[in-house]
Amino acid sequence: MSAHSHIDGELPHEPERATLEGRNKVLGFWLFLGGETVLFGTLFSVYLSLRGQVLDGPPAYELFKLWTVALATFLLLTSSLTSVFAVQALHRNNVKSLINWLIVTVFLGLCFLGLEIYEFIEYVKEGHKFTTSAFSTSFYTLVGFHGAHVAFGIIWISMLIAQVKRKGLTVVTAPKVYVASMYWHFIDVVWVFIFTVVYLMGKVG
Amino acid sequence: MADHHSTANERRRHKHEGPQKHIVSFIFSLLLTVIAFAVVAAGDVNKDFIYILLVTMAVGQVIIQMGFWMHMKDRGHLYPIIGILAGVFVVFTMVIMALYWVWW
Repeated sequence: MSAHSHIDGELPHEPERATLEGRNKVLGFWLFLGGETVLFGTLFSVYLSLRGQVLDGPPAYELFKLWTVALATFLLLTSSLTSVFAVQALHRNNVKSLINWLIVTVFLGLCFLGLEIYEFIEYVKEGHKFTTSAFSTSFYTLVGFHGAHVAFGIIWISMLIAQVKRKGLTVVTAPKVYVASMYWHFIDVVWVFIFTVVYLMGKVG
Repeated sequence: MADHHSTANERRRHKHEGPQKHIVSFIFSLLLTVIAFAVVAAGDVNKDFIYILLVTMAVGQVIIQMGFWMHMKDRGHLYPIIGILAGVFVVFTMVIMALYWVWW
């Protein structure tokens, strides 16, 4: 198989695009992200049409605290930068630096997830439960779906770290790292819209 | 021979830019985020103005993430752009429906 012909030799210049398999993986992942855009778009449109229906629960402007959202945004934005550094290390064929940057990315993702869990617990304490109102249900579905994507990304990248440690950088493992970093950037793009549309616009009213 | 080697190295370095450009993008992202949060925290500003500003900041961040960090600006990304734009088209249709049609 052509995909394995480089394993023992020197790694090509852009290893994620060196094989047809790698190029197809990247293109296929872009199309998957197009589908993910539609998935989150539907959740956003549901949230937008239901966000005023609060019943007896607390409304958005009373509930949201800007400092937790700002901290979460900073964590995720920084992790996006560290995954860029990971891909740059990949292009320099520096396995050690690649693994270190991926570990930093996973760590920042875990911090983000912890903050979100803390935030949800606080909301439930204030009477903002999943079944409280149409607003609360659409809120938890949208933000929770994003949190689930972050959790999936953390597991995925952790397993990639283990694989790269065992097998090193090859034309087979390089596209996987590249695609995982694309996924992580996309998660950050979705979060940009969540903090803009859900939190900041919710605070404005 | 050595001369030839160094020019090849330079070309290589030119193709894979260093971290500086990405740190600049990161600072721009932070700036857009800070502006968005600051305007909301300040309050007492015209609501429509805030909405338009927030959406503009978000679009700026998407351009940084997808254009620079996901390499969409680079050559050979026509199919990715078509794929994402198809998704964005569906999303626009649905959001406009949710905003202007459901609670008409």
